[in-house]
Amino acid sequence: MADLTTTPATLPRRAFSGRLVPAGSIAGLCIVAVVAGPYFLDSYTVNILVRSFLYAATALTVDILWGYAGILTFGQAAFFGIGAYAAGITFTYMDFSPQTAVLALLAGLAVSAVVAWITGWISFFHRASPLYVAIVTLALPIILVQVLYSGGTFTGSSSGLVGYNTFDLSVEAWFTICGIGLVVLTTAAWFFVNSDFGRLLIAIRENEQRCTYLGINAPRVKILLMVVMAMIASVAGYAYAGYTVVVAPEIGSFVFGTELVMWVALGGRGTLIGPVLGTIAIDVISAYLSGNLPYVWKLIIGSIFVLVIVALPQGIVPVLKTGLRRLWSAATRRDAAPCVAVPALIEAPEGRRAGTGSDAPALNVADLACSYGSLKVLEGVAFKALGSELLGIIGPNGAGKTTLMRCLSDGYERTGGTVAVFGHAIARTPPQGVVGLGIGRSFQTTSLFETLTVAESLRLARYRLDGTRMLSHAPTLALPDSARRVITATGLDRQLAIECRHLSHGMKRALELAMVLALEPSVLLLDEPTAGLTKPERTLIGSILVDLVQREGLCTLIIEHDLDFVREISTRIIVLHQGKVLLDGSVAEVVGSELVRTIYAGGAHQELAP
Amino acid sequence: MTALVLDIVTTAAILFAVASGLLIILGVLKIVNFAHGGFLTIGGYSGLVVTQLGLNAWLAYPAAVVAGIVMGAVVERFVIRPLYDRPLDAILATWGLGIIIGQLITIVFGREIQFVQTPITGATSVFGETYSLYRLFLILAAAAVAGGIAALLNATRLGLEARAVIMNEPLARGLGINSGHVRFVTFCIGAGLASLAGALITPLSSVDPNMGVPWLVNAFMLVLVSSVSLASLAIAALTLGGAQVLVSTFISPVIGGLTIVVLAALLLRIRPAGFGHG
Amino acid sequence: MSPTVLDIADLSSGYGEAIVLRNVSLSIRPGEIFALLGKNGMGKSTLLKTVLGFLPAKRGRIKLFGEDVTALPTHLIARKAIAYTPQEQTLFQDLTVEDNLRLGLRDDRGFAEGLARVSEYFPIVGKRLSQKAGTLSGGEQKMLIVSRALLGSPRLMMIDEISEGLQPSMIQRLTEILLAERKRTGTAIFVVEQNVPFAFSMADRYAVLKIGEIADDGVAGDELAAARVQDQLRV
Repeated sequence: MADLTTTPATLPRRAFSGRLVPAGSIAGLCIVAVVAGPYFLDSYTVNILVRSFLYAATALTVDILWGYAGILTFGQAAFFGIGAYAAGITFTYMDFSPQTAVLALLAGLAVSAVVAWITGWISFFHRASPLYVAIVTLALPIILVQVLYSGGTFTGSSSGLVGYNTFDLSVEAWFTICGIGLVVLTTAAWFFVNSDFGRLLIAIRENEQRCTYLGINAPRVKILLMVVMAMIASVAGYAYAGYTVVVAPEIGSFVFGTELVMWVALGGRGTLIGPVLGTIAIDVISAYLSGNLPYVWKLIIGSIFVLVIVALPQGIVPVLKTGLRRLWSAATRRDAAPCVAVPALIEAPEGRRAGTGSDAPALNVADLACSYGSLKVLEGVAFKALGSELLGIIGPNGAGKTTLMRCLSDGYERTGGTVAVFGHAIARTPPQGVVGLGIGRSFQTTSLFETLTVAESLRLARYRLDGTRMLSHAPTLALPDSARRVITATGLDRQLAIECRHLSHGMKRALELAMVLALEPSVLLLDEPTAGLTKPERTLIGSILVDLVQREGLCTLIIEHDLDFVREISTRIIVLHQGKVLLDGSVAEVVGSELVRTIYAGGAHQELAP
Repeated sequence: MTALVLDIVTTAAILFAVASGLLIILGVLKIVNFAHGGFLTIGGYSGLVVTQLGLNAWLAYPAAVVAGIVMGAVVERFVIRPLYDRPLDAILATWGLGIIIGQLITIVFGREIQFVQTPITGATSVFGETYSLYRLFLILAAAAVAGGIAALLNATRLGLEARAVIMNEPLARGLGINSGHVRFVTFCIGAGLASLAGALITPLSSVDPNMGVPWLVNAFMLVLVSSVSLASLAIAALTLGGAQVLVSTFISPVIGGLTIVVLAALLLRIRPAGFGHG
Repeated sequence: MSPTVLDIADLSSGYGEAIVLRNVSLSIRPGEIFALLGKNGMGKSTLLKTVLGFLPAKRGRIKLFGEDVTALPTHLIARKAIAYTPQEQTLFQDLTVEDNLRLGLRDDRGFAEGLARVSEYFPIVGKRLSQKAGTLSGGEQKMLIVSRALLGSPRLMMIDEISEGLQPSMIQRLTEILLAERKRTGTAIFVVEQNVPFAFSMADRYAVLKIGEIADDGVAGDELAAARVQDQLRV
C-alpha cells in the first residue's frame, strides 16, 4: 500500500518512473533475446516461433478484450483471417510490390475495422447480455469461412491461396521483426491497461451498469476497443500470410478463435504476459507433439483447459508469479506490493452544469407509470421539482420509491408518462445520456468498483467531462468543490490509494456520494444515502446536502427510511404509497398528516399515537 | 411448392429438436452449454454403435438418450456445479468439454465420416410430391419431444419445481425446493435431449467427430431469440428455419447456412426480447 | 418439556461488509405467538432471512426444534416443518394459484385435504385455482400466501409484514384465522410487523428491533406495553 502520509503531489512522479524503468528493462531484454534467438535456436524452432509470435500477438488482443474489458470473444480469428486474406488475395492477383504490400495492409485494416464495428454494434447496446457477444463473435468466423468457401477460385475455396510472391525476407529476419513487434506490442499493451483508460475498461467489466450511470457510454467504448483490437489482429494475420505464403480458411475459423481463448485462459487472463507466454509455449509444444500424438495432445490440452477454468480460473502464469513473488519477498525481505499512484486533487472549472439559466423546472414528471407484466409498480405519478429544493421521498416498502429513481435516470424503464429535465424530455435515452441532461443518481446498495482505488473511482466519474489518458496516469484529478468537500469532511482524501473493497461501509457511502457529485449534476437523485451509517455520519452527510442545496441550488431528491433525518433536511416531502403519490407537501403538512401515520404504522390506532 | 413447404416444416422440426435441450438448460441453469455440440455428437455415435453391433435401428434413440443422460450427470457434477456463479467461465468449460468429447470420439471411432442405418427408408407421396419418409418422421419426433417436455414441465412435480426455480429461485428455496437437485436433473435431461437430437439427425447425413459444432451456433441463436420459451422456440424454428430453406433454395446454399445466425443477430439487436413477450 | 421451536443466540448478520443485526438473542416456545416489531430498515427481514439461511450468520447460532441449523442450506431449513412468508416476491406471479399452493407442500400428498381446509378460511382461493397469481389483487395475493403457508400444517410459521397494505377488516380476519390454526395444530407463529395493534392482538410475547439490536422485549397483551412499543415505532 502506498504511504498515505506522503504529500500526494510527489507520489505520481515517483510511481511513474518506478514503473517505467522495470518495464523498459524487461522489454529491452526481450528485444535482445529475439535478436539473438536465431543464433542459438535450430531452424525448425525458429520457423515455428515466428508463427507463435503472430499467434501470441493475436492472443494479446483477446486478453485485452476478455481479460481486461470482460468481452469474451471468439472472433479475433476472423480478423486475423481478414488480414491474411487481404495479403493473399492482393499478392495473388496484383503481384507483390511495395505498393501492393501497403495496399493489402490498408485493405485488411479497413475491412477488419468495418466488420469489427458492425460486430460491436450488434453486440453492445444498452442492456445487452454479456453472454451475447460471445455468441455473435462465435458466429463471425463461421460466417467468414462460409464467405471464403463461396468465393470459389477467387479465394481458393477450401484449399485457400498458395505460392504468391511475398516479402523477400529470411526466416531469421521474420523472427527478429515479428519478435520485436510482439515485444513492442506487449509493452504498449502493458502501458495501455495500466493507464487511466485501462482502469475504465476494468470498471466497465466489473459493473457496466454503474458506469453508464456515471455518464460513460460503455457500448461505444467497447465498440472502439473491438475495432482497434481487430485491426491489430489483422496486422498479425497480414504478417502470417506474408511469412507462410499460404492462406487457408482454417486461419480464420472459429476453431482458431476458440484456441486463442484457450491459450489466453491457460496462460492467465488479464495478465498480458500470461497469454503471450502461454500461446508461445503451447504452440511450440503442439508443433513437436502433435505429429506423434495428434488426438491425444488435443485431448490433453482440452482436459487441462477445463481443469484450469474450474479450479484455477486465473490461469497458470499468475499462480507461478505468486509463487515467485513469495520467494522474492522471502529472499529480499521487501514488500513486493506495487506502488499505487495518487493524483493531486485540483479544482474543476465551474459552469459546466446542465440547465443553468433555464426557466423550466429542474424536474417535471407527468403521468409516470411503470409496470412489470401485470404488476403495476408506479401509476400516474406527477410532480415538479425546482432548483434549491430538497425533496424527501418516503413511503413504506414496495411503494415504488426505487422504481421512481430508476424511471427518472433511465429512459427505458418507464412504461408510460414523461420525464423532463430543464424542459428536455428524457424520452428513451439510456442512462449515460440522462446523465448528460444533468441527472446524477446514487444507489441504494453501494455499487462501487471493488478493485478500483478511491482516486480511480472518482476519476471514472470525471471521464464524461474530462476524458482520459490512454497510456499513462494523469498527475492531477479535478473535482468540483462539492465533491471535494465530501471527501475532505469524511477523510476520504487521505485514502485515495485504497481499493474500494477495503473501505468501511460509511466511507463507501461517502465515496458513492462524492462520485455522483463529481458528475456535476443539476438534479441529484439519492437512494438511501445514509443507510447503515452511524448517527454522526448521518448528521455529516445531512449537513453537506443541505449546504449543497442552499449554496449551489442543486435540485435534490432523496429516498429515506429514517423519517427524522428526512424531516431535518427536506424542504418538501412526497409520500408514495402503492405506486401513487399519496401526499405532496411541506414537511409540517406531511408530518402532521394522519393518513401518513396510518400507512406508516400499518393502520395504527389513533389513541396509541402521541 | 409442396416440397418447399415440407422442407420448411421438416427443417423447423429438426432445428426445434436440436435446440430444445439447450433451451431447458439455459432456462433453469442460466448457463450457456457449449458442450451441446458434443452431446449431439454422442447421440450420433450412439446410432453408429447400434449400427455396428447390427441391432435394430430404432434402438439408436433410447441408446442416445441414455448415453446423453449419463454423460450429462458426470458433467454437471464435476464441471457445471462449481461454475454456477461464473456464467462466462461455464461457456468456456463446456466448450472445453466439447473438445474432449470430440477427441475421445476421434480416438475411439477414427476421424473419418461414417454412416448409420436409418430406421425408416424410402419415400411417400404427399399431395403428388414424392418426399422422404424419414424427414416426415422427424416432424413426429419433434412433436413428441415438444409434447414430452411440455408434459414434464406442466404435469409433474419436478416440472413444477423447475418452473418455480426459473421464475424465482430464492422463493423456491424458501419453500424447501432443492434447486441444486432441480438443476442436476434438468442438465441431465437437456443432455439426453441433445443426444437424442444427434441420433435423429444422423440418418440425414453422416457422423464425424465434429458434427455437432455447426448445429451449436444455429441452436443458440434460436434459443436466444425465443427468450427461453418452448412456444417461441417453435415459432423461431419455423420462421428462421423457413428463411434458411428459402434462401438456400432460391439464392445459395452457402448463404442459406448463414441465414439463421444473421437474421437472429439483427432481430436481437432491434428487439432484444426476440420472439418472446417483452 | 419439548424443545424450543426457534432459539436464536447472539446472532449477527448483514449484507457484504455491512452489519445489520447485532448480537440478537430470542427464543420461541411451542405454540407461542411471538411478535418482532420495528420500523423499516431496522433488520427485521434480515433476521428472518438469516434464520432461513438466505444470509450467512456472521456470528451466533440458530436452533430449530433443538437442532442447530446455522450452516444448513435454505431448502433443508425450509423443510423442517416451517412455513415462511416473505415480505417481497411472495408468489410465483406467472404460475397459477393451484401451482403456487402445491409449492407450499413438499409433495402432492395431502393437497386435497389441505386445499379444502384453507378454502374454508379463504373461499376465494379455492375458486380461482386456475388463475395466474400475478393477476390477483393485493389482498387476494396475501390470502394466497397465507393459504400456502397453512397448507402443510407447519410447526412454525414465520410471517413477514403480512398486514402491510391490508384493510382493517382483512387484518381482523387474518388474526382470527391464525389463532384458529394455532389452536388446531399448536403451531408457533413468528410475526414480524410494524403494525403494533395487529401484532399485539395475538402475540404472547414481543421484542422491538432498533438499528439491528433488541431495544425492548416483554409479554404482550398489556396496554402499557403496546403504547410504549407504538411510541418506539412512531413516525
